[in-house]
Amino acid sequence: MSEELRLSSIETRGVQGKKRYAMVIDTRRCIGCMACQVACKAEYDTPLGVNRTWVPYKVVGTYPNVKKHFLPRLCNHCDDPPCVRACPVDATYKVDDGGFVLQRYERCIGCRACMASCPYNARFMLPSHRTYTKINNVVDKCTFCFHRVTQGLVPACVQTCIGRSRVFGDLNDPNSEVSYLVTRNATQVLRPEQGTKPQVFYIGADRNQTEYGRDLYFRPDVMEEDRAAWSRNLKI
Amino acid sequence: MGDYVVFHDVAWHGIYAVYFFVIGISAALFFLSALSWFREEYRPLRTPAFYGSLVLLAVAGLMLIGDLSQPARFLNVLNPAYWHMTSPLVWGTILLVAFGVVSIWYFTTLGKGDSAGKLPAMIGALLAIAIPVYTGFDLAVHQHRPVWNSSLVPVLFLGLSLISGAAVATFLARGDPRLVAALRQIMLWGSGAVAIMVISLVITTGYGGSAEELTYAFMTSGTMGMTFIGLGLLAGTLLPLLVLAVPMGRQQTGLMAAAVLILIGGISLRYSILMGPQIVQTFFS
Amino acid sequence: MIDSKISRRTFLKVSAGTTAAAAAAPRLLQAMENQLGGKDFDPVSMTERKAIPINCHVCNIQDGAIAFVENGRVVKLEGNPEHVSTRGRLCAKGNAGMWYSYDPDRILYPLKRVGTRGEGKWKRITWDEALTEVAGKLDAALKEDPNTIMLKWGRNRTGGTLERFMHTLGSATILNHTSVCESSKKVGMEPCWGPDIETPDFANTKYVLNFGSNILEAAYFHNPLSQRIAEGRVDNNMKIVTFDVRLSNTAGFSDEWIPVFPGTDGAVALAMGHVILRDNLQDSDFINTWTNVTVEELREHYKQFTPEWAEKISGVPAGTIERIAREFALTRPATLFTYRGPAKHLYGSYNEKSCMMLPIMTGNIERRGGYCLPRGMGWPQPDPKPGKPAKDSILAHPPEYPLASHKVSHLTPFFITDGRQKINVYFTYQDNAPYTNPGSMAVWGKLYKDEKLIPYLVSMSSHMGEETALADIILPDCPYLERWEPESMPNSLWPWLGIRQPVHPYLGESRENRVLLRDIIWKLDPDGSRGMKKYWDFKDGEDYMRKHFDNVPGLKEAGGLDFLKKHGVWPIYGKLDPKTGKVVDKTGREIQAEYGLHKKELSDADMAGAVVDARGLITKNGGAIGIRRNGKNYVGFSTGDRLINVRVDEWADYGFSPMPTFKRIPWHETMKEDELIMTTFKLNVHKQSRTAAVKWLAEIAHANPVWMNPQTAKKLGVKTGDLVRVESKVGYLVTKAYVTEGIHPKVVAIPTAFGHWEYGRLATLKLKEKPQFGGQDDPDLQNVWWDDKGVHPNIIIPVVADPIGGSQGWMDTVVKVAKAGPDDKYGDTQGSWDKHYEAFKETMRYAYTGDLHRKMHPEMAAWGGPESVKHKGGHGGH
Repeated sequence: MSEELRLSSIETRGVQGKKRYAMVIDTRRCIGCMACQVACKAEYDTPLGVNRTWVPYKVVGTYPNVKKHFLPRLCNHCDDPPCVRACPVDATYKVDDGGFVLQRYERCIGCRACMASCPYNARFMLPSHRTYTKINNVVDKCTFCFHRVTQGLVPACVQTCIGRSRVFGDLNDPNSEVSYLVTRNATQVLRPEQGTKPQVFYIGADRNQTEYGRDLYFRPDVMEEDRAAWSRNLKI
Repeated sequence: MGDYVVFHDVAWHGIYAVYFFVIGISAALFFLSALSWFREEYRPLRTPAFYGSLVLLAVAGLMLIGDLSQPARFLNVLNPAYWHMTSPLVWGTILLVAFGVVSIWYFTTLGKGDSAGKLPAMIGALLAIAIPVYTGFDLAVHQHRPVWNSSLVPVLFLGLSLISGAAVATFLARGDPRLVAALRQIMLWGSGAVAIMVISLVITTGYGGSAEELTYAFMTSGTMGMTFIGLGLLAGTLLPLLVLAVPMGRQQTGLMAAAVLILIGGISLRYSILMGPQIVQTFFS
Repeated sequence: MIDSKISRRTFLKVSAGTTAAAAAAPRLLQAMENQLGGKDFDPVSMTERKAIPINCHVCNIQDGAIAFVENGRVVKLEGNPEHVSTRGRLCAKGNAGMWYSYDPDRILYPLKRVGTRGEGKWKRITWDEALTEVAGKLDAALKEDPNTIMLKWGRNRTGGTLERFMHTLGSATILNHTSVCESSKKVGMEPCWGPDIETPDFANTKYVLNFGSNILEAAYFHNPLSQRIAEGRVDNNMKIVTFDVRLSNTAGFSDEWIPVFPGTDGAVALAMGHVILRDNLQDSDFINTWTNVTVEELREHYKQFTPEWAEKISGVPAGTIERIAREFALTRPATLFTYRGPAKHLYGSYNEKSCMMLPIMTGNIERRGGYCLPRGMGWPQPDPKPGKPAKDSILAHPPEYPLASHKVSHLTPFFITDGRQKINVYFTYQDNAPYTNPGSMAVWGKLYKDEKLIPYLVSMSSHMGEETALADIILPDCPYLERWEPESMPNSLWPWLGIRQPVHPYLGESRENRVLLRDIIWKLDPDGSRGMKKYWDFKDGEDYMRKHFDNVPGLKEAGGLDFLKKHGVWPIYGKLDPKTGKVVDKTGREIQAEYGLHKKELSDADMAGAVVDARGLITKNGGAIGIRRNGKNYVGFSTGDRLINVRVDEWADYGFSPMPTFKRIPWHETMKEDELIMTTFKLNVHKQSRTAAVKWLAEIAHANPVWMNPQTAKKLGVKTGDLVRVESKVGYLVTKAYVTEGIHPKVVAIPTAFGHWEYGRLATLKLKEKPQFGGQDDPDLQNVWWDDKGVHPNIIIPVVADPIGGSQGWMDTVVKVAKAGPDDKYGDTQGSWDKHYEAFKETMRYAYTGDLHRKMHPEMAAWGGPESVKHKGGHGGH
């Protein structure tokens, strides 16, 4: 989008002199191994029951014409993030240079307005117990590994991605790998109609997974028992 | 199979609906009390309605704080340096604080002569209108949520506030015929407006896109359907409307029954409008 | 978090350096601008975590890794970005490996049983008490017969100390777990071309045939090969076709999933070979030069395996077989991969051999993008080395299975019960037979609870697994993050040597295995007078590693052990560019892996004194060292005649078909309409038995409903979540149904790794109890939200032994499935020893000594019978 057409002053995609970090997830390369999900848990001591990144799957078709699709998920680090405007105390904010959408844990009051505003379920409430990190009962989310990226590393999920399905970089740099991938491939983002300008781009995402609400038509039933157990037992 | 197990919670739980309900009644009671400065028939309500409002304001405030996962940090939201004006929660904070201040001011004028209370009554009445409207915006600003993201919601919450407040006021009216008649008018026209708004929401939701369609299904079937359509719309809005419209509604018992139904409807509608539209989002994996 | 070190305004300065370099790079070759890894930071304090290179050992793929330590604790595990083979990445299991160390239920001091076996009553004892007791038992056993001391491991990455321990004691009773793993695959391959595994060059191929391997979730070598499959698929536009009974993640990823009837992959592969030979699409030059058969012989032999014949057996349409066969033969390069699908059957070795014939006949062997030999790397053993035991052990090498070079360990309980070999002391190491083996508690539980058969059971274990729970004494071993171990694994085309080193001191009183074994020997032979102590002369694990590594040529010049301690891995050649995943030379230019290992030419020095016979075989000092072809002296393959043995004459000696063949499983042919075949499988986040206590993995997968096709479910009147009763000839279980389109209608499948009855509080979901053996509790376990631990299927799986490879036929079990009755409860399992014993007797009938062997092999009518080979009395020596 050109600068003149930008509706929101918060957006930094295409703004000169600023980085706009993005992730490209090539689903053709995703093998559904869950390494990213576990690496993320380790990086952040994320408690059980909640996730900063996760990998849902969908089996589609009728025997023997069946296929399995994966769609790794995380915070989209929207260029125009609804969570930021929903936070009453500026605990959620966007880093101007880089585009990270972050959380100030010491300021968060736990009102959950950001959770209500996120179209992607990327935010969650931290439970009271963690292994060694003393941040609890505030809203948490994916940070695009701000602490790693600002010190020259890729995010932990990208680091471990076996299929090299996740690629990370600066979209404002025309020479970056993400720029190349976004230019040279047909890409999708999740729920673009929400005007959030997601910065996680998918290659080859299946509509069975990207279309909002579609999950409800093909719910794997055994999972429902787990869902009920999760709602029943997890205290958040 | 059992091998994919990431689940998502609703953002706001049912307890928020109780807050909406309580703060709505508090605001409406103040409004009725304030009205007494301009309309003689409301005079008997001035003190009891205000006390009711004050108590409920305290209750609502405590609920709001208690519902944070970091209750002690409610001070953060009172700190103007942190305020993020795009959030309706900030509007709410400012309105509630102002409302509290004006309520106290109003309280100090109660014993004094007629003219002393007029100004705080007027300012407070405006705030009392704004508060339910802001609770509507709490929901309406989330652009991806079916039902919530509608300009009807703030108006609907105002309507619900007014009739719930009037319903409570019915019990404070001690049978004063002029007052009761006035309250009946509020409840009658208010319920009518609420019914039109709820029906509009139901129909536009049912005719909406996939998220709305699914939300329509959730909100019109099962327990949620029972709460929303059964208790909220039929028993809590249309039935009292009917009772109020027929001669029975002019009698004390009919009025009381309608008031009780309106209160049931008020909580049911708030609950189902809060919770129902969140269901579809929890399934977006 | 954010406000501490780096403000958001100044961030640009921090990372500005990368942009300039990026702009200069050629556009299309550019990879991610940020570093892949090698460093990690605390997300709260932003401070750097200490990095220690290690080698992963959650499963046996052996990925190079880095442990990041903070406050004395490993908080993060990552791939080692210097590792040419595993390329800086880890799988889900590897990422969670620190929970082996920090499991609150880990055993941190020696324990002695005080109740009856398996009762769960323990007494804490000192190491000295423990060692004295074990040494005493060993002493007594040694007086009777060293072979009455048995050691069975599930996973042995000690680099030789377990064997050294047993050889020091003079016992040959060493058993492994390979027969419940993939042994028939190995035995199908070894006599044919030498090594026991292939290395498909997925990254550079154009076509992949995958028979029954779930490489994207499990199998050798999950992580490194999956990386290259993704690369080949997207960067190289390869096609991958998967034959499997179930839509695994691999089948789901593949361009085509072709469901097959269990155990019939070999028939499909033979029919494809038929099409290739019939249509003259084979690589005749390769066959005639590098195999021990001619194209004509092969074509004649394959005439019988028509696609129509295979369709009847496998259910794969003849047209599909024809099409895939032509695609495979006409697309170059092409490769093939198999795993447990073809191998874990009564005649699994035949299936494996039939599959590997496809890349052989199309000449895809050892080519770029083809089907390559494994590239491993050895290391010397410290001197002095104990000699081999004087007497062989029947358990280690049952004479009925002379070709099973990886043993037949799953039959051990029956052999011991039959009195084939007496056991006095039984050591178990990283094994969990009562959980992982067929028959489960009905077989192994029965064996272990019988104190006459197993008078003394020593478990060297860090966890209270199902087996350890039955032990008499527990010596607390260390999980992999606290051990020294040498490592090398042919997990891609890039060979390497690596090391596992402790990230911190042993927790509690635990001791790493090599030290623990040394301590036993020292107790047994305190002054060295028994001649044992000299083999165990080392200060600690590091000292032992120095003896391994300081004299490896090449590595020695690079710094020996010190190099490995610093880098974790020594690539034999090349250097990894972790951003692109390409292996480069010193100047940064991409290099190719070595191909054509069999075409390596012998040097003049090699040839000095060598003899070349009429067939071209080059021998020297009585051993074959190469093969002369077209006037050149090549090393060839590591078989007796340096060729690929399409015809395995050794098999014919025992009445097995030497040429590629297929045998239907007799009881599958006679199945009734309402009977189904039950198969088992692994999920991406678990291994066989030791991951259920790893919280992050258990969270992702903790239950294992039985998969069934909607057609099957409809017939049974069952929907997802309903309780069903699955009954085999040896027992039954009650579990939940999971109805999915992704499975063959004649198959039901249950994943393993679930339904533990031991293995700590998380695996058994008894989290209200407290840690018992010295571990520190994890507050996060209060967030455990699931309440279903699954049902373990092994108790209803009878033993089946491949008469050639000795492999367990995991996928051969015929079951009846029905809606659960009113008395059936979720999790009910029952198995009968007697029926399992009957199954054992039944499977022995297929051994070359058994009465069904001849019946199964009408084509071998001329074979002289078991008596004709008795004198060889041999056992595989691989």
